Order: sequence, then C-alpha cells, then structure tokens
Amino acid sequence: MAGIYVHIPFCKSKCRYCDFTSFPDKLCFAESYMACVYREMALRQKELESYTFDTLYIGGGTPSVVDESYIAMLVAAARKNFKLKEDAEITIEINPGTISAGKVEMYSKCGINRYSVGLQSAIDGQLRELGRTHTLNQFITCAKLLKGKNFNADVMIGLKDQTADDVKKTIEVAAAFGAKHISMYALTPEDGTPIYSDYLNGELPDGDEVAALYDEGYKRLEELGFLRYEVSNFAKKGFQSRHNLNYWRRGEYIGFGVAASSCINNVRLTNTFDLDEYFKCILSGHLAVIDSEKIDKEGQKEEKIMLALRTAEGLNIDEFNAEFGGDFLKDYGAAIKKTCEYIEIFEGRLKIKDRYLFVQNSIIVEFLRG
Amino acid sequence: MIDKRHIRNFCIIAHIDHGKSTLADRLMESTGQVSERDMEEQLLDSMDIERERGITIKLAPVRMFYKADDGVEYEFNLIDTPGHVDFTYEVSRSLAACEGAILIVDATQGVEAQTLANVYLAIENNLEILPVINKIDLASARPDEAKKEIEEVIGLDASYAPLVSAKEGINIKEVLEDVVKYFPPPSGDDDAPLKALVFDSYYDNYKGVILFVRIKDGCVKAGDKIKTFRSDRVYEVTETGAFNPALVPKNGLFSGEVGYIAASIKSIQDVAVGDTVTGAERPADEPLPGYKKVQSVVFCGIYPLDGSKFGDLKDALLKLQLNDASLIFEPDTSQALGFGFRCGFLGLLHMEIIQERIEREFGLDIITTAPSVSYKVVKTDGTEMFVDNPSHLPPVSEISYMEEPIVKTEIFSPPDYLGQIMDLCREKRGTFLQMTYLDKSRVKLEYDLPLNEIIFDFFDAVKSRTRGYASFDYELKGYEKSKLVKLDILLNGEVCDALSMIVHEDSAYARGRTLCENLKDAIPRQLFEVPVQAAIGGKIIARETVKAMRKDVLAKCYGGDITRKKKLLEKQKEGKKRMRQIGNVEVPSEVFMQILKTNKD
Repeated sequence: MAGIYVHIPFCKSKCRYCDFTSFPDKLCFAESYMACVYREMALRQKELESYTFDTLYIGGGTPSVVDESYIAMLVAAARKNFKLKEDAEITIEINPGTISAGKVEMYSKCGINRYSVGLQSAIDGQLRELGRTHTLNQFITCAKLLKGKNFNADVMIGLKDQTADDVKKTIEVAAAFGAKHISMYALTPEDGTPIYSDYLNGELPDGDEVAALYDEGYKRLEELGFLRYEVSNFAKKGFQSRHNLNYWRRGEYIGFGVAASSCINNVRLTNTFDLDEYFKCILSGHLAVIDSEKIDKEGQKEEKIMLALRTAEGLNIDEFNAEFGGDFLKDYGAAIKKTCEYIEIFEGRLKIKDRYLFVQNSIIVEFLRG
Repeated sequence: MIDKRHIRNFCIIAHIDHGKSTLADRLMESTGQVSERDMEEQLLDSMDIERERGITIKLAPVRMFYKADDGVEYEFNLIDTPGHVDFTYEVSRSLAACEGAILIVDATQGVEAQTLANVYLAIENNLEILPVINKIDLASARPDEAKKEIEEVIGLDASYAPLVSAKEGINIKEVLEDVVKYFPPPSGDDDAPLKALVFDSYYDNYKGVILFVRIKDGCVKAGDKIKTFRSDRVYEVTETGAFNPALVPKNGLFSGEVGYIAASIKSIQDVAVGDTVTGAERPADEPLPGYKKVQSVVFCGIYPLDGSKFGDLKDALLKLQLNDASLIFEPDTSQALGFGFRCGFLGLLHMEIIQERIEREFGLDIITTAPSVSYKVVKTDGTEMFVDNPSHLPPVSEISYMEEPIVKTEIFSPPDYLGQIMDLCREKRGTFLQMTYLDKSRVKLEYDLPLNEIIFDFFDAVKSRTRGYASFDYELKGYEKSKLVKLDILLNGEVCDALSMIVHEDSAYARGRTLCENLKDAIPRQLFEVPVQAAIGGKIIARETVKAMRKDVLAKCYGGDITRKKKLLEKQKEGKKRMRQIGNVEVPSEVFMQILKTNKD
C-alpha cells in the first residue's frame, strides 16, 4: 500500500493550539502555491512510476479555504502524474466555517470521496477558547451538506473546563449528523503555541482527567457503533481511514507541499517549512527537501512496532518475520516477558490490551533498542 | 643537603572559613613559591570539590624557601589540613609529620568548636602552636577578644600572636619570622636506619603508588631498596622529591624532611597510610608509632547504577582508599540493588565527599542507601554482634536487646538561639548535660545525643534554626541501651531491603509515615497501583498509594510525525534506563535518598 499526502498551509486564522505549518495571512499566495504543488508532483513523477497509490489525502492548514477549483486541479494533477487507483480513497480536511454547497459539489465531482471535518467541540464557548472560527451551528450546516457522504469529525478532549458530558455531547452531535468516523484526540499543548500558557497556568485538565474524559468518550463511541481501530480513531464498520492505516502499517507514502514528508524505500524526506523557500526551490526545478533520513533495519523494526501497537489490529508477527527475517517472539522475548500483563498475542498478532492502549508509551518503549 | 636546623615542618589548624587556605596561599606567594600572577585562587585545594565547597578535604603538602631576617634561607614544609570535624583523622596524620602548628583564629568569630579538637590533637602530638589572628581588616574584627578567648579557652599565651589579614596580605612577614622563631627544627639522625612515616599516598598511572613521607631517621634516594613494615616486599626507589605543591623530583630525602617516594609500587594493598618505610638492607628495629585506627561512624551501601560497573566501582574505592585510609568498604549485596559495597565513613560530610568523588573522578553513576550507624545487638543466647546494615539484623525473636552509639555534643551558639537548639536536641532524644556562658555572645551547650539522630539532618537543622550562627562538634562517647526497631518499606507488598532502617521505637511511626509520603511523590506512576507501606516486624504502620498511570500516549502519529514521536519515545526509554527494578516496580535511583529526609517537603 502507498498513499499521497498534500499539505495546504493556509488558514483563516491560527487556532490557539495549532502547531502545524499554516499561514493565516498568506491566502493570496494560494494560486502560486497550488501551481508549485502540481510542479512538485511532476518533478517526482519519474521516480514513482512503478508505484500504485491507494489513497490521496489533502490536509492542512485548511484546504477548504482555497478556491475549490484548485483542489479539483490538484486531484487531476495527482491522477495525471501518478497511478492512483480507480477506487482510491481521496480525503479532504475541511473547516465547518469555510464550506459551501458549491464547494462540496466540486469536491465530489473531482473524485473526493471522504471528508474530515474539524468539529473539535459541540460547545461554542470551548470553540472560542480554542480559537476556532466556527460554531456548532456551522458544523451542523456543514454536516447537512455532507449528508450521505463519508465523513469524519475531529473531537478534542482535554479542553479547559471540559466535562465528560461535553465530550459525549460532541460525539453524539457528530454521530447524529452522519459522521462515519470520529477521531478523538487529546489536546497536546505544544511549547510555543498560545495554549501552552494555559497549560503552564494549570488551566487544562491533567493526565488523569484527560484519561477520564477519554474513557467516557470511548464508551459512548462504542455504544454508538464506532469501533476503535487506533488509539485516537474510531469508525463505523468499513469506514476506517485507509490513508491513515497505511501510516500505522508502515506503508510507503509521498508528501507534497511545505512541511510534507515522504517515506519511500526507507528514506524519509521532509520538505522545508518555509513558504518562500518552497517557492524558490520548486520554481527553480528542485525538490524542497531539507531533511533526508535513511532508516536502518533496526529503525524500521522499531517504527513498525511503535506504529502497529497504536492500533487495535496490532502487529502481524508472520509479516514482521517475513519482512525483517528473524523470529519476533524470540528476538523480543525479553520485552514480551516484561510487558506480558499488558499485551496479548492472538491469531498471530501482538497487540496492547484494550484497557492499556491509553498508556501505551511505557509498553512500547520496552520494544525499543538501547 | 640542607642543615636540619634550617628546616621547619608545620601545619595550619583552623575552623572552616577562617582563612586557612588563603593564608597558605599567601605564605607561598611571599616565599616566591608562586608568582602572584600564576596563582590560581587557593592553590592547595586542588580537588574540584574542595574549591567548590571552599573546604579542604585532603592534606596537601608544599615546600617553600624563606630567607629570614637572620640571613639564613630556611626550608618550610607546610602540610595543609582539613578543617571539618569529619576529617580529624587526616589532621592527626599531618600532625605526626610536623613540629609546629599555626592556629588561625578569625578575629570576628573567635575560637570555634572544631578548632579546639584539632588544637588538642596538636598538643597531644607535642607540637609547638603559634596562634595567628586573621581577618583583622574586617570592621567587625575584635582581635583583643579573640586573643583573650585563646588564652581562656585553650590556655595558650596569645600575646605575641601576629595580627594578619591573609586576604589583604597584611603582616604575612611576621608569620614567616615567627615560624622560624617559635617552631623547633626537626630532630633525627641521618646515619640511623631509615624510618619514614607514610602520611598519605595516591596512585599515579605511570609511577605506581606515590608515598608522601616524613623522614624521621636516615635518608633515602633513588636506587635504594626499601620495604614497609606491613609487607616484606622489597621495592627499588625510582624517584624522590618534594612538593611545590606539584611533585618536584629532588635527589634524596634526609631526616627531618617531608617529601615523596616513588618505587613502582603497583599493588595498592601493599602500602597503608600510617605505615613506616625502612631500608631493605639495613631495616630499623621497630616501626614508628602509626595512627590510631579510625572507627567508622557512618555507614551506607554504594551500588553502581549500571550493575555491570561493579568492577569499576571496586577499582574506584580502592584508589580512593589509597589516599583516604579512613574509608572502609566490603562487598555487599542487596535484593533491590544487586552487587555493591557497604562502606564506612568518619561522618556524613566524609560520606558525601566520597560519593561525589566516585561520581566525578571516576565518572561512575552510583546509588547510595540511607546512612546508618553501627548498633550493638545482644542476642538471647548471650552473644553480641555489631550491625550497621539493617538487613543484617537478626530476627526480633533472637534479639535480647540493642544498644546504640551515643555522642557527646558541644554546640556553640549566640544566646539568642538557645531555645531553638534545646528544642531540637529534645526532638532528637538528647540528654542535656550542661550549659556554659563563654562570654556575653557565646554559649556552649553540651548534650548527649544518639548518633543515629545526628546522621540524618541534624547539621542542617542546627544551621537553619540558628540562621547559621551555631557550630557544633561531637565525639563518640559509647553505647547505650535503647529501644530500637527495624523499619521496613514495602513496595507493592515486597520489602525493599535498600530502604530498611533502624530507628528508635518512639519515632518509628512518624518516620514511617513521612517516608511513605515522600516515596509516594518520588516514585513515578506505573501501569498498576503501587502500595507504599512502612512496617515494623510485619506490622504495617503507614501506607500511601502511587496511583496507576492513566495517560501515557502520543495523541497523534501520522506520516510527518513518526521521526519526532520516535525520538520522544527514545527519550522516555532513556529515563527508564536510570531506574531500578524493585520487584515489578521501577524506581528512580534518587528514591533511595528520600529516606534521608525526615520532613515532608
């Protein structure tokens, strides 16, 4: 499996928790930027001739702030340069405040078949606190526009003054208006973001409180028929995100645009985070790579385990042995023994037991070298 | 060879901070031993720890030449001495190599408790004592009172004491002249069989063990065959020399001189400080009186953080022991900490210094267990034993009774803090002996205190309750019967032997409770709930719970995050490596020091 990612670094405004590469004041460059992305695709076309891609993911930023025609051209450019499967999963991230019937129509016409909506919370006060530019009502309008389509709603936990009921309400709203997939993320206050000072001031729920919110949310999601397939991702049967599963299975992927990264042939490339530099490189006919990391075999194994153990399906042991040689159960005997209470091995797969998935780091580190 | 009459061997005795190292530096400077410009602050304190803490731990010898007013050039051998009470042993070693001692008294503070102990040691060793009043440049200096105190408290004639400021270089010349005038030259017979007292030693990777000696009789030079009274192994001297304070080769050492001998001695165990070196061909009949064997007062376990470094730790301890004979150790094992050593020290500061030197000079990460004293256990069958390791205590049913070491403590303080000090001593099970007003501003309090109450935080408590004004000194008095119990700590239901301690019955409950509280905060949360319990003989007396960890996850991990997220996990793994596994509980090494705190912080 292989996926394509395209990063659209524009936003109406920067959310207070946002640590991504996005420029709220540079929307005027959108046209040139999109042109560069098409160009970047062309630059890598030859190299990826032998690949067939299963998914295309347009993320951001807020891809829905740029003109929908550029998005349509983007999908076309991807199809033109690469072998993208006929039934490929093509996702776009949208902000409920920047969507219209016309946009949805265009998206759907150009082949987009999955949407990811940044709901975050069904409580308007919390949305304001986060610096989101939309309201609950706008989400509802957006969800109505997406009626009958496959869409995900993002839900955040760990917000200031958030209660379990708030989390449940948000999940219920998303479910009621037709979301087939819900991502429930714990807010991670990153140093340098405005929300970090809330964290330093002790205004955000602590780890225990976040865990309690997660447990409540998890319970409600299961009740509503959303099955957890990764620690933060829940889906109705058959609606898992194929694009993201590819990351957790350590499939190959290629990324375009500022800050995007690729991993092909165990070389991870990262593009520049600087918009001007990106323009300069692409316009002069070069890739905009600032970091290239060759991943050795041990590193590949570690990534494979660390990613697989995030998921409910866990690690396929036979596949692991076939890919890397050796005998997983023997080679990792010490780690398995040490974590035996928290993991299970069933039908050839090793996974973290359900109730320990939210404390997975301390289990995963036992499988790392050193 | 210099005329013996023109040699002066002396040391300096002073309380911490009274300016010993500064005066020593000034003497070296005035004798042209070092130029002012090349002078690194406080030359003799060569260990990093000494400079940082502003104290002298090791004795450091130095040779100077001084042209006195009588026109004669004299050779001065100054042996610097540590001031802290823990290092009395080191002091007695340097005293044995000297004929005189300069006693520095701070003109602003007068005579201090610790100075007294060392002065008496010097008097016992028949040393001539020259009092020097230092810090006369300070506004608060009261030199006359200081002199009066010397006369009243010590009984020395201080009328001729030079008034100096080592810092400002005032009256240093007077001190040099007095050294010539008042200190006797060494006696000794160059033609007699060699007798040299080893007062220190250290290991040099190229030259082997370097012996610091005071030649009492005879002489020694390169090529001579020597041996010690301790072993019959014969060594050939490869080099002799003096200290400037670095080692400077010098052909031959003669009676009365202080210097070093290198003889390619590779086996550290072959020489001991206090030993006598003599000629292999014409040995002396009997050794010089050695040093009083020191008694370790404080004990603790030292374990390598990384279990595979046991050999390195052993090597480090052996090398430290070479120039610190007061350090004793023997191999020990702990269920919790694996293989390590049980070490004995002269006091708490000595323990701290050794721990620090192991970490710094040998680059080893170590875990230390709580300090303990040596208890006398009288068993029901009438036999006696000494136990300094709580886990070696016999079962309660076999113990008839126990005795603990008691120290006689002298605390000197301004009268304002008497109440606080007396409260503290009461809390620490002290027995009041007497109180003496030394003068208007100083009172001497004498208490008998159990040593195990002092080894935890008594120093700090005295200092903090008297805003640093009080000082104290103690000496071992003997053993007294006491109601002692072994306090065990259980982590997740299992006794952690490295956290056990012996405490007085009356304070056991409070200690157990505080310890559980401190441990609860120090032990990181695990994937399961960890009960932390304190128990006496199987009876649980306190309990806290380290709650199970509930959140330990990276919320998102997609294509662009993988490298960064992996680094975060690797960092977490690094942290885990610094932990010890006690049963199935992972415990950071700092936890073992929590036991030291008697208060909740």
